[in-house]
Amino acid sequence: MATAPKEFRFGNFVASIVWLVFWIIIIVTLVVLPLIFVILFYVPLPYAGDEVLTPYLFFSMMVDPTRTVPIIDFLIHTDLFRAAIFPGFAYAAFIAAATIYIERKFLAKMQLRTGPFYAGRFEGILQLIADGLKLISKEVIIPSGADKPLFWATPIIFVATAAAATALIPVAPGWVASDLDVGILAIFAILGFFPLLALLFSWASNSKYPFIGGLRALHQLIAFEIPFILSALPIVLLSGSLNLSEMVESQYLFWFFAVAPISAFVFYISSLAELERVPFDLPEAESEIVAGWLTETSGMIYGLIQLGTYVKLYVLAALFVVLFLGGWMGPQIFPQELIPNYTGEKIYNATVVNGIFWFTLKTFGMIMLILLPRGINPRIRIDILLHTGWYKLIVLAFINIFIVLTLIYGGIITPGGLQ
Amino acid sequence: MVGELGSQFTPILYALGIGVLAGVPSLVLSRLLSPRKRYNPVKFLPMECGQVPVGEGRSHFMMQYYAYILMFVVFDVIAIFLYAWGSSLLSISREATLPMIAFLGIMFAAMGYALYLSGRKGIW
Repeated sequence: MATAPKEFRFGNFVASIVWLVFWIIIIVTLVVLPLIFVILFYVPLPYAGDEVLTPYLFFSMMVDPTRTVPIIDFLIHTDLFRAAIFPGFAYAAFIAAATIYIERKFLAKMQLRTGPFYAGRFEGILQLIADGLKLISKEVIIPSGADKPLFWATPIIFVATAAAATALIPVAPGWVASDLDVGILAIFAILGFFPLLALLFSWASNSKYPFIGGLRALHQLIAFEIPFILSALPIVLLSGSLNLSEMVESQYLFWFFAVAPISAFVFYISSLAELERVPFDLPEAESEIVAGWLTETSGMIYGLIQLGTYVKLYVLAALFVVLFLGGWMGPQIFPQELIPNYTGEKIYNATVVNGIFWFTLKTFGMIMLILLPRGINPRIRIDILLHTGWYKLIVLAFINIFIVLTLIYGGIITPGGLQ
Repeated sequence: MVGELGSQFTPILYALGIGVLAGVPSLVLSRLLSPRKRYNPVKFLPMECGQVPVGEGRSHFMMQYYAYILMFVVFDVIAIFLYAWGSSLLSISREATLPMIAFLGIMFAAMGYALYLSGRKGIW
């Protein structure tokens, strides 16, 4: 049983905190602030509103609440903010964290358990922080004979690749980090890196179970890549564009799920396989090959690969929403003005907030649908998996392509919508 | 549609860099915080469920389903060709679909033959 040491006094504890605050204040004023000013002196400064944003102006405007709006407005429209925080990595990582918690609770409820319960006051809501602290304080064990540079680098590349895919997802009108004209091809290109990374990591760890798991991952991801790509083709035919934002905008009349339900089904099954989730979790089959290609991972390396996997889950769920469920489209439920009769600088945009709300709601629904088979399905054999991918799903994807072609050439659907 | 600026791709590179920036410090921090005990000789052996590992980790392995990987190399390219056609479908004439259907027919025939061959496990 843990007890406080004998010399523990509350006064000492307070004194240590006061010392800490004292040193933080000293270091911030003497080192950090001058450093910021020195660095900013060499950086070309942007315009906020109608004046050049100098460091002095920045700090004074941040302190004065009535003048912060133009600065925030400027900062949230930079590319770096979009790639890093909002439609990009931080948003995706937040959704990934929420997904992990929801998955554990959801599966527990399906199996009549409680799931995480003790960390945090409400239903174990702090479990994820506890897990993160545990992972970061665990020793990373590298098996002897492993390729050390690759072993350290692959988890980082895994997270970075997943982060790069999030930059292409449009969450609201105009809110996408990289609005490419070939957006959907770029997403396929980035997702194509993952089997390579799984094989690379399994090779680097110099062990038999990861090797078998890596080969299985390669077979599986390759078998489902073609139905995955083909199932998005009807959407390209219907919207006449490869740009993801334009695909969403062309669904203003009806969701493409209405004319391409078979494609949506194929896309859903293939994204389950791309994510290595049950029933396609052969690369990580814990009852056959320990943990598949993750067998030799430990500590933070495992944590990073899990983070990358869940960010990838968000990307695929969001891609399903963008392609088939109308992206950010939804009834306007937010008021046009947040504060009535407010005449200052505005940062609140009702359309954007509405779009973000509907997009997040649909994405969470889709994530739940991807999590669902883990509670109800057994794993399938590898030859059945390859048969499913190569024979059935490809044929189903082509059936929907021909249905859409018939609808377009029959004059039932035109680029402007229903006739 | 075409003539895209290279600068449109820079946010993807930013995101890639942010992924690296999220990954590297966490590994460094984990290395600083975690204990490192090196006295156990069994600890760094590859995992084989408690047995002492036998043989090499990277050995020759029979890939029974190699034929599917060969098929992927061809049909992935073909699937991307369909995108080039699909994105311009609404702006080309209707007769242009007929060659595409012929292309799909050839592709289906080839795919059927390839699947028939890859089903025969004896020859791989």
